[in-house]
Amino acid sequence: MSSHREAPEISKDPVADSTDLYAFVSPDSPSTITLIANYIPLEAPDGGPNFYEFSDDVLYEIHVDHTGDGVADISFQFRFTTVNNIPSSFLYNDGPITTLTPPSPSSPWNRQQTYTLTRVDRNPTSRWGCSTTVLGSGLLSPPCNIGPLSTPNYTTLAAAAVHSVSGGPFSATVFAGQRAEGFYVDLGALFDLGDLRPFAGDHAGGPGVGLMNGMPGVNSTADVNVHSLALQIPANQLTRATPKNASDPAAVIGVWTTASRQRVFVEGDGAGGQDPFWSGPWTQLSRLGNPLTNELLIGIGDKDSWNHQQPLSDGYQFLHYFAQPLLPQLLPGLYPGVFPNLAKYNSTPSNTRPDIEAIFLTGIPAGVITQAPTFTNYNGTGVKADLLRLNTAIPPASSPNSLGLLGLDVAGYPNGRRVFDDVATIALRAVAGATLGYVAKFTADAAAAIVDFGLTNGGTGTDLTAKGTEHYLSTFPYLGLPYSGYSNPSVTPVSVVTP
Amino acid sequence: MSGVSRRVFLKGGSAAVVAAGAISSIPGLPAMVGLAETQGPVDVGATESAVTEAESSGLMSEPLVAHIRDLGTGEIGLFSGTREVTVLNPQLAASLVRAMR
Repeated sequence: MSSHREAPEISKDPVADSTDLYAFVSPDSPSTITLIANYIPLEAPDGGPNFYEFSDDVLYEIHVDHTGDGVADISFQFRFTTVNNIPSSFLYNDGPITTLTPPSPSSPWNRQQTYTLTRVDRNPTSRWGCSTTVLGSGLLSPPCNIGPLSTPNYTTLAAAAVHSVSGGPFSATVFAGQRAEGFYVDLGALFDLGDLRPFAGDHAGGPGVGLMNGMPGVNSTADVNVHSLALQIPANQLTRATPKNASDPAAVIGVWTTASRQRVFVEGDGAGGQDPFWSGPWTQLSRLGNPLTNELLIGIGDKDSWNHQQPLSDGYQFLHYFAQPLLPQLLPGLYPGVFPNLAKYNSTPSNTRPDIEAIFLTGIPAGVITQAPTFTNYNGTGVKADLLRLNTAIPPASSPNSLGLLGLDVAGYPNGRRVFDDVATIALRAVAGATLGYVAKFTADAAAAIVDFGLTNGGTGTDLTAKGTEHYLSTFPYLGLPYSGYSNPSVTPVSVVTP
Repeated sequence: MSGVSRRVFLKGGSAAVVAAGAISSIPGLPAMVGLAETQGPVDVGATESAVTEAESSGLMSEPLVAHIRDLGTGEIGLFSGTREVTVLNPQLAASLVRAMR
């Protein structure tokens, strides 16, 4: 998945597991930037009585680098507080939750969360100095979407959880709570030895087990929920200066999210004499910039370490995973005869993938994309760090293409990422060689321009939804209302097409 | 080294003996975005006197955890609140290990 359960250690700590990160110029408010970090993968909508929630013990952060040095200039910190309004009840709620109100013993909603949002700004004159501004405290998260009896007007509840906050010279619109999953990919096929259902007949092992071309894709993340941290911020509060135009390096920001826990946990003694506690400095457990980096590029022996490291480490200890990624090496073997040019390129050991390095680590310089020569989201420094880079001066597309830059929509991934961008197909085509010809002497195989997961309308990019993602919103927080437990009592079994 | 390294959880005044010298030497927490940085080892004398009541009231407002990283060098990590301090005290490390026997 994009980053769901992508590393052994974090897969055991879902409340700290970042799943997706989005950064885009808000289409309905283009003077602002929307940043969304999702956590808690694959929430079953009916997962009660202890429905999903953020953790009080985790420091959630969204970071912004606006100087191109791979270090956070701004960080938005979310800290949650959970209360039991009705400690004697085993229920999540003992009556309909009709309004969003602060925690109270008289509330019908038992298990409730509030949070504090803090902005941290690095002092440009000091490497270690920083200033903090509390933008909001006691902010209300919405309940999970239980069902028509418990959360009868969920749209109203969710809307009431969108807060306008400010502190000092800064302001933001913020939401923190459950939303519908927006990412889509066919995991069942992909992790079955790199199968792509539409092209299964060309897979080295496909015909032998009866698979054939043209099989429809299956969205593995349909009908599940996530927990979102969403911010909408004036662009001039994120960039280091107001950019003159889209070619100005000041227009580019790099974004990533992290989750951290304190280093030590001491469990309680179970007898009431010693409560459990956390102690020590925060240590990072989860990291996400570009989708699929830790999922598909980093080796399993380094995945946990990658999550612990700062982005600057990508240019050093992890660089080989970007320069010579494994997946492009595997594709010609998995699909014999389909990627002959890629196979030939791979056969020269010294050949690297500067296109992958540009997409993931530095941003793309102007002049590289021949069909859009002025486009750039280059960080201006060449510093290599896995960040989701957004050129904030490129306006939203009037006719978006879910293939983003591959579909010549310069407002889409890898220029930031919108909720509907088909990042799995974009990444698949990139590693298959579709982008290599921009930066190296290479002619992409025809298949590199058409391979996809069969989840959208022929992979043309004109279809902005896939099964299970029809819920995107046109306004903040853009991800759809979460699926209700009553209406989605279990993830619908998928009818696997077999010949 | 011997490889003998084990976690020891301390409570109360005995832990404060270690904390008295170490925490007072911490400069402002330097790290960005709430990620505190570990300070380099601080050599703590083995003959520190017991902390006064006034000292301990300020130090023990939160639990303190000690982690003996290396018995040979006496490297002990101390965790309290969002702080981590490393001290060097072979005698103290040895005493703590003996206490666990």
